[in-house]
Formats: sequence, C-alpha cells, structure tokens
Amino acid sequence: MTETSITLTLNGKKKTLRVRPNELLLNVLRDRLFLTGAKYGCGIGECGACTVLIDGRPALACLTLAVAIDGKEVVTVEGLARGDELDPLQEAFLDHGAVQCGFCTPGMIMTARSLLDENPSPSEEEVREYIRGNICRCTGYTSIVSAILSCAQEKEGA
Amino acid sequence: METRQFEVAGRRARRKDGIAKVTGREIYSSDVYLPGMMHAVVLRSPHPHAEIVDVDVSEAERMGAVCLTPFDVPDTVYNERTVSIPEKTYRDRTVLPKKVRHVGEAVLAVAHDTEELAMLALSKVKVQYKELPSALDVKDAMVEARGARLYDTVFLGGECIQVKNNIACERSIAVGDVEDGFRQADITVESEFEAQRMYHAQMETKAAVCAPEPDGGITVWTTTQTIHNVRQLLGQIFSLPLHKVNVKRIALGGAFGSSIQMNSITPICVGLALRAKRPVKLVTSREEDMYDHVKYPVRFWLKFGAKKDGRLVAAHMKALVDIGAHNIQAYPLLGCIAGWFASLYKFQNLLFEGRAVYTNKVPACAMQGYGNPQTNFAVESLMDMLAEELGIDPIQLRLMNYVGVGDEFWGQGPTVRSIIKSCGVEEMLSRGAAMIGWDRRVHPSQKSGDVVRGIGVARGFHTSGTGGPKPGEVIDYSSATIKVNEDGSVDLITPVMDQGGGTWEAAAKVVAEVLKVPLDMVGISPSDTRTTGYDVCTHATRGVYCGVGAVHHVAEQVRQKILEFAARILEQNPRDLSLARNEEIGQAVIYPTGLPDRYITLGEVAKTAQIKSWGTIAATDSYRQKNCPPCFVTHFVEVEVEKRTGRVRIVRAALLGDCGTPINPDMVKGQLIGGLCRGLAFALLEETAYDSNTGRLVCGGYLTDYKLPTACEMPAIDDIMVGFANTYEPSGPLGAKGIGEAALNSAASAIVNAIYNATGIRFKKLPVTPERVLEALREGVAR
Amino acid sequence: MNAQNQTNTRLLLPEFEYLRPETKAEALHFLDQHRDKNVHILAGGTDLIVKMKTGALSPRYLVNVKDIKELSGVRQINGALHIGAVTTLAALLRLPAIRSGYSALYEALRSMAAPAVRNMATVGGNLCNGSPAADTAPALMVLGTVCTLSSVAGERRLKLCDFFLGPGRTALLPGEMLTELLVDGVRPDSGSSFLKIGRVSADIAKVNIAVYLERDGDRVADCRVAVGSVAPTPLLLDSVVSFLKGSTMSRQVLSEAGRMVEDAIAPITDARSTAEYRKAISRILAEEAMQAAWVRSGGEVPR
Repeated sequence: MTETSITLTLNGKKKTLRVRPNELLLNVLRDRLFLTGAKYGCGIGECGACTVLIDGRPALACLTLAVAIDGKEVVTVEGLARGDELDPLQEAFLDHGAVQCGFCTPGMIMTARSLLDENPSPSEEEVREYIRGNICRCTGYTSIVSAILSCAQEKEGA
Repeated sequence: METRQFEVAGRRARRKDGIAKVTGREIYSSDVYLPGMMHAVVLRSPHPHAEIVDVDVSEAERMGAVCLTPFDVPDTVYNERTVSIPEKTYRDRTVLPKKVRHVGEAVLAVAHDTEELAMLALSKVKVQYKELPSALDVKDAMVEARGARLYDTVFLGGECIQVKNNIACERSIAVGDVEDGFRQADITVESEFEAQRMYHAQMETKAAVCAPEPDGGITVWTTTQTIHNVRQLLGQIFSLPLHKVNVKRIALGGAFGSSIQMNSITPICVGLALRAKRPVKLVTSREEDMYDHVKYPVRFWLKFGAKKDGRLVAAHMKALVDIGAHNIQAYPLLGCIAGWFASLYKFQNLLFEGRAVYTNKVPACAMQGYGNPQTNFAVESLMDMLAEELGIDPIQLRLMNYVGVGDEFWGQGPTVRSIIKSCGVEEMLSRGAAMIGWDRRVHPSQKSGDVVRGIGVARGFHTSGTGGPKPGEVIDYSSATIKVNEDGSVDLITPVMDQGGGTWEAAAKVVAEVLKVPLDMVGISPSDTRTTGYDVCTHATRGVYCGVGAVHHVAEQVRQKILEFAARILEQNPRDLSLARNEEIGQAVIYPTGLPDRYITLGEVAKTAQIKSWGTIAATDSYRQKNCPPCFVTHFVEVEVEKRTGRVRIVRAALLGDCGTPINPDMVKGQLIGGLCRGLAFALLEETAYDSNTGRLVCGGYLTDYKLPTACEMPAIDDIMVGFANTYEPSGPLGAKGIGEAALNSAASAIVNAIYNATGIRFKKLPVTPERVLEALREGVAR
Repeated sequence: MNAQNQTNTRLLLPEFEYLRPETKAEALHFLDQHRDKNVHILAGGTDLIVKMKTGALSPRYLVNVKDIKELSGVRQINGALHIGAVTTLAALLRLPAIRSGYSALYEALRSMAAPAVRNMATVGGNLCNGSPAADTAPALMVLGTVCTLSSVAGERRLKLCDFFLGPGRTALLPGEMLTELLVDGVRPDSGSSFLKIGRVSADIAKVNIAVYLERDGDRVADCRVAVGSVAPTPLLLDSVVSFLKGSTMSRQVLSEAGRMVEDAIAPITDARSTAEYRKAISRILAEEAMQAAWVRSGGEVPR
C-alpha cells in the first residue's frame, strides 16, 4: 500500500498528514491526533457515535477513508465551541439534562448542529427523523429532542 | 408523611461532568493513551463447545507480537462478580479457559504496536480445537444424555461440587403453605411466560488499559461499575498485593449491568501488559461485545389463587433461567427473582422454585433490573388476567394487594429484607390513571377497525441497595472522603462509579446541602482504589441511597468539624453556631445563632485552621445502609396496534416514580424516560437469536441486524408525562431512595397489558414483534 | 470467527491501492487497467467499507469516484432527469424536482438510513451494491429508469429492471461502471408512491414496494409495480401490471391487485423477518402504495 500525503482543514486549522489507504478517519482523529470526541460505537454506520462534519455536513468517520478527505474541511465536536464560548447546542444539552453517560453526545451534537444549519426551525418530528441514526441507550431521547428544539428559531409567522 | 425543603437537592442544575461530555473532552477507558502503549486483540472461538488442544503462536511472536494463551495465564478459578459473600459465590472460570463454551469466548490474545499489527499477528495464530457436543437449547441442556456437558465440577466458595445435567444451581423458597393457600382460593389463574435473551447495547464497548508500574504493580483503567472489586480480583488472579493494584475511576459509556462483574477482557489486558512489560490497551469491537454478555432469559410458570373479592391467597412460581456458558450470578439471581415476585403483592402463601442451567451460549449477567423486568412481566400480566377473571378493575386489584408501608420488602432475595417506611404506590396509581385517562379505557371486544388503541398499567419497584438490618448474602457498604479547602471550596472523593445516571452529581448536591456551600464550590475529585475506601459496586440501584448515603454520613462529620473550628474563632460553643449558605458571597458562612451579621466564611475558617496549624477540615469513613427501601414505579402506557401489519406503537405514556426526594429531578426524569425506551426494546423489538446449528448469533454481532430503538420509536415530548410521588425516605440521604433500575421494571409489562387491551390477545412471550402480532391476530391467540 | 476470518469493525483490515481519478475518463481507464485485479469503485463507502470490514470483500484496488464532478448532480433535459451516479442520496432529497414530481423516489430516499449516511451514500452505490432490499431500486424501476454503463469501450444503456442479477450481482461487466440514470419526465395524470416496513425507522426493509400509475379518467392507463426484499433481486411484477392496466379503479381492484402481489412473491425467512410476514405485508403495502399513486395521479380515493 502506498502512503499518501493529505491536507485537510481540521477544526479550522490546516493539517497535513501521511496516511495509508486503509486508515479510517475515525482512527486518525483518535489515535493520531488525539481528538477522542468522536467515538467508536459499532464500526458499521449503525450508531452515529463517530459523526463529524465533512464540508459542513454530517458523516460517519468509521466508514470514511482518511485518504478520501484530502482537501476537505472536517469539524469534530472539539471544534464546535468558539474559544471558551460553547455552541448553543452544547449549552442546551447541559440545560435540558440531555447528557447521561455522554458516549453518544458528541455524535448527537454534531448531527444536531447540521440539522439546525440546514433547517433552523425544525418541527419535533423533523428533529427525531434527523437524529434517527444516532443511538442513545440512556435517555430515551426526550431530553435530547427538547435540547435541540430549544435552539431552533421560531418559525416566521408562528 | 415527612417532607422537607432543600436548597440544592431537588433543584435542577447542570451536571458537573456535562461540560466535558458536550465538548468531547470526557475521557473514557477507550480514550486513554499512554506512551509506549501496545494494542491488543482477542482470538475468539468459532465453536460453541470445544477443547483447546494446542495453540501455536510462534509465527505471531516472530512478528513481534506478545501473546497470552490459556497455557500461560494463572490458573486461578474465579467468579468475575464478587458482590456476594464468598461462600455463596460459584466459581467456574479462569482468565482464558482451556475449554471454550460459547462462540465468541476468548481463546487467546495478542498485543502489538498497533491494533492493525495485532490483527495481522492474530491471523497467524494456529489453534487446534477438539469440538464437543453442544447444548443451545435450555431444555436439551438438562438432558445430559444428549451429550453436552459444560462442566464436570465448579467451586462454591471453597468447596468443589459436581455439576449434573448442566444445572448450575437451584433455589426453592417458601412462605406459608402454598397448597393450603390454593385450597382457600375461590379462583386460580395460571400461565407460562417467556422473556428473551436481550443485549445490553451500552454505547461504549468493553475496554481496558493496563500500565505495568516500575515496582511490579499495575494501574488499570477499565469499563467497570466497581473499581474495588476489579482491584481485588486482579490482585487475587495475578498474586499482587493490593497496594500495587490501582484501578482508576473513569467515565463509563453506559453499562446497564454488563460491568457489575469484572469484564472478561480486563484480566486478559493485564496479563498481556505484565508479559509485555509495556502498557497495553484492549478495546473490544461491537461484534465481540455482543458475544460477551446478555440479559438473563427466563421461562416462567406462574399460578395465583385469590378469593372472590380479589384478595390474593397463594402464588406459585417456577423459573427456568438459561444462563449461557458461565455462572456469573445465577444463584443470587434466583433469590432476587423470588424476592421481586414475593414483594409485589401480599400473596400470603407462596412457593418459588428456580433453576439455572448452563448452555453453550453467551454468558448471561445482570441487566437493569436483575431479573425484575422479567418477573414483573409474568406477575403483572397474570394480575391483569386475574382481574379480568374476577371482573375487578386492574388498578383496584393492585391497590387491594400491594406490598406497602409496614410490610417486609425483599431487597436482594430472601436474606436481604427490611420494613418499608415510604411508599407512593397509591398516589402513583391514582395520579397516573388521571394522566393517561384510565376512565376512557374500554374492553377490547368493544373495539373495531384496522387500527386499535389500548391502555395498560403495570406497577413495579426495585430495591435501593442491598442493605438490611442483618447482613445477608450480599456485601453492601460504601466510603467517602470530604475535605474543605482553604478557600471554602470542597473536594469530594468517592469510589462510587457513575454509569451516566448522575450519581456523582447527587453526591455533590448532598455535600452542598449539608455543608451549605454553593454547588459550584463542590468538586468531584478524580479517584482510584488507592485513594478511596471500599464501595461494593454501582448496582442494585444503590448509587444514591448507599453510595451517596456514605457521602451524607461523612458530610455530617465534616459539618461538625467546621462548627468546632469556627467556634474557636468566634469564641462560642459549637452548639450555638449556625451554618448557612450565602449565595451573595458564594460561600458557606458560620455565625452565632440569631446574629447572622456576625458571620465568618467557611473559607476564613479553613484558612485560619491552616495558618494556625489546627489541621485540615476533613473526614473519611465507611457507611452501611441497614435498609433496602423499594423505589416504586408505575407505568401507564397507551399503544396503537395496526392490525393489518402487526405494528405496535406507543402513543402515550405516564411514568411515575417514587424515589423519595428526587435529588436530581432532571436525571430522575431521564431515568424514567430512558427506562421506557429500553422497556419498549424489551417488549417489542430486541432479541439475540441463535443459529441452532452453528451456535452463532443470527445478527453476527452487528447492529445491522440487532436493531435498537431510535428517536422515532419513542412518543412525542408532550405524550410522555412524568410524575414523582411525594414521599420522603427516612433512612435515605436527604430522604432519597433509588430509581435507576425501577424505571424499567414495569415498562414492558404495561406495554403488553396495553396490547391486550387493544387486541384482546395476551402475549406471553417477548418480544412482541409485528410478526408475532400478525400471526396471533390471524390465529386468535398468541403462541 | 477464527484466526483467519475474525472481523474487527474498529479497523479496515484489507490492504489495497487507492486511486483517485479526476475525471470519468480517467476513472474508466483505471477500471480497465485493473479489470482482472479485483478492482472496486468507492463512492459513498457506506456499503463497500462495511463489506470490507465484515470480510465480504477484499479489493486490491479502490477507485474513488466520489469527487468526480461530471458524475455527480442532476440535470433536467427536455423534462427528463439525468442523475449522475455519484449524486448523494441527500443531494437528491434536496432537489425540488424530485420532491414534486417523483414521489416514489422521494419517499424511498426519505425512508433510507439517516442523514449522515445519506450524505455519504450515492444513488449509484445503492444500486451497484446489488442488495435485494435497496430502497432506490423499486422506486427507480417503476419510474422506468434507464442506466448508462460506461467503459473505455464506450457506453451502453440498460433498463434498470434488467440490471439486477442476484444478491450482490449486477449486469456490470469487468471494466464497466454505472455513470448515469435517466428518468423520464413527469407525464400528466401520473403518480407514484413508495412504501416500506422496517424494524425501526432507519432500517433495511423487511419489504419495500413502489408503484407508478398513469390515469385515464377512472381507469389505469399504465402502471408498474416493483417489490424489494422478497426475492434475490428487486422484482418488477408484470402479472399485477397486466391485471391493473385498463382496469377501472376501485377498492376491489386494489384488493385484488394486492392479493396478486402477495401471490407473486416467494420471500424467505431471515434475520429481519419471516416469509409469512413478508407475504402478508406486501399485500397491505401494495394496496396502500397503489392507492397513493392513484390519488397522486389525480384519481379519487377508490371506494
């Protein structure tokens, strides 16, 4: 296998790395860059714990080849806060008791971030459909859905 | 009933570990990285039952791998769960058994510089198996003539005992005279029920990191609900003095019981690290994890006898448990099933006969409720059947017979009992009925159309801890250290694990409440087995009641010391001082009672004590709760059944919890709703099915074919109503009991009762999948 | 699980060479160059990488076509949709033309997986994976989709209904790649629909079904019905079509057509469902999907 040099923007900073073709983005983030927010949950795209944003949209790092993100922009949960200022979603998760064991939380927040970027005023049903690929075994989802909805803008005319 | 107002407890607050968790900076076992660390992988058995004749790891070793085989691990026979007293603990396993007893059982392990290299080395390992006849069905397993014999002998305490017909253990427990009870009965009902194998599916797969220390000791980070029991087991297995075994308390990505016992991979990781003399990390894949643990599946036969007026007079339960390949805790489980059964209703005369049987399947262990959801499903289903036979409203029948204040409760089988002092059963049944609209409920025969709705009720409970006035078969106490820092902030050092439910948060709130410091001035210190006294385990819904109970006990001691030191400064008698919270200055303050303006702050007291060399205001102690108060729950569920497709949807639910003082109301609510979600999974969706030829999981260990409920399966926010009973537990910290496991225990029962109310079909086997519903609707009865 | 084939989904174990062509021509050249050397196309990766992790595939060469612009995106020419094969499911879902005119495809896309997967997965990938349960397959089949298969030798066109040969097997020849899907323009008085039942909301189908109808007054002028997850490939059900065509729409016709769907299939029992259940719900889904398509074509709700 041939190692390749890739350059990406990671949480706002340019990063150049040499990777083997079969290295997964998730393992590069965790094992090489020590960004351990994205988690291994199932390895096959069924649980959402490894969700990161690639070019602004949610993607599963456990199924993404690191070599294939050359030139792209990746944001992980560690890159969501602006300095000491948490993202409103992070604040909302804290205020709504949406965190229990916390293992699904980073992936859940990244998915929710993408939802609100796409659709700033989703309905409850739209929130549920959007996060249906992110499994939470603790909360039963209600507190998570409430947290996300609390960050939604009021629909115009509503 | 006694109630109290608190300043911190009972109020919503952001949890202290929340910031780390929402920013991705919380460190779980799988996030631990150490310099020079190797990565380990485990070779797992492809056979359900086989002797390991020979292993050849020479090629892997030539590749630079460090290998651990059954032939070079200590031969200590242990039980990975050590919360019961030793003489009641069955032991049947070693770190790497020389005979594999289920597909996926660990055969050997390999460590290398990277996980990829370890996998490559693993592929070069050769294992020679001698396949043995296997037993996959629990009834077949009891017929030894069919050839499968998992164990010849096992240990019970120090005694070596024979295993016959693969029966791991049996328990028979009687109260009164059941035959006489049934003779008094005007009416009897009986039925069989079956609860399935279900996977915990905690989000974090099992993980361990072990660092060998220069002094020959080890430091371990691992997924566990009990750092001290893991420490003691590792010390015993690897012949290390305990001061050289340090297990770190670390965040846990859920457990639901699957880490009450030391995880199977933890000693494997330690063995490799000791061999390699380098740190080793071992994180299991999801498919390995699914081959590691499962909920206890139980088949019941249950019979009730009652008088015409609805008063119960007799009950007889037989329980058959398929425990899989290891006896992790079947003996206490059988006792607990008896207790969950005996403590739901005043049966007056009862007989329990339980049997646990080995099979060549994934070993079963506790999963939220420890036999309680299974037992509750049988008992609460049969209660509804009895109510219908008697023509009595199901709520009325429950009110007539429930075990409540002044009655004896079996918190952990027959040997752990205490008298109930707080109980919200009546309140929850009446409030819940109003919330769900019980008066709208009509008999299934009055329903028509392709889509029918039904309302069901079930009540349940769990114990809070395993303490009783007399020590029983289960160990239960906890420890805590609290110290006041020189600025008036407080460090809390606890050995208690928090699997996500908020136990640490409750501990911090209790400290803040007792010491009158603002909650943000209480820090939860990192801790490990070296810096803490013993805590048995975060299991049995004991985190708040017992673990935080110890914190409360120690906080009271610290409070006394604060008053003593303040008395010296203020030249007063400690008895004449008041301790109060002053939010304005962000400190606890101490003043002569009645003269609040003459206060000094806690920071000033602590700083003065330091400057004058009086010492640190601190205390360490252990504490044992001498009660096991039940936390009661009541589930009201409304379902919608699509008769054409067999699909069942929960449309509304009223969840009521009696946890005494809800110290973290948000978290109690979260537990109740989470319990509904896992109850939905248990009732309608999940089962680990086996291929009867190969002994493998039909889903292969992949979540592709083991579906978990998503946000879309749950009812809408406004359709889940949550209520707390207004109770105060006099023996609990600030009046609190537990809630965790209770939150699940009657959820599935209520769902199944609701399906009956919708369709008129009584489902006795879980999960109630659309396939089973459609088949039953066609045949008019569930198989 | 044994030393040779034990999986570890934490890693991607197969070793391969990674090729990243800039253009379609370059991609086809790579496919041709390595045609006998176990070359696979990587698009979204949501099926391919899973197969590589679970040991079903071990390619020597992966050709990443995901970023080739000319293979991505949708053009409307003379009313017809030209869908680039590596257009993501999410991109299709966002397209107003699909939402308004191609209900079956829109509903299939919405039913699939979760947003992260839909952002990664491509429509071509969903088809080329060859799964009998692929959700876009029945939808695109009833919409009369024609595939463009390209190789260095040129292009050929194939009806999508002839594309599937068996589980994981398609009509693609070595060196060939699916490059475009051509879907006819929306005709007046037509409607389509897709329905599926899974175990949970984001799941592979136990059964999925798509229906396309053209209406002439109260009669069915033309129609197509396709079912998935009930046979080795997604099935176009001709028997139902010949029955429906020309029929005057009524509850009875729907019910009879539903029964014909149930009779026409011989599904298996697997990890997701049972043969009996699949048969039973295929009838229910067929009736509902046919009715929805009929109503969308402008017809009245049959009585």
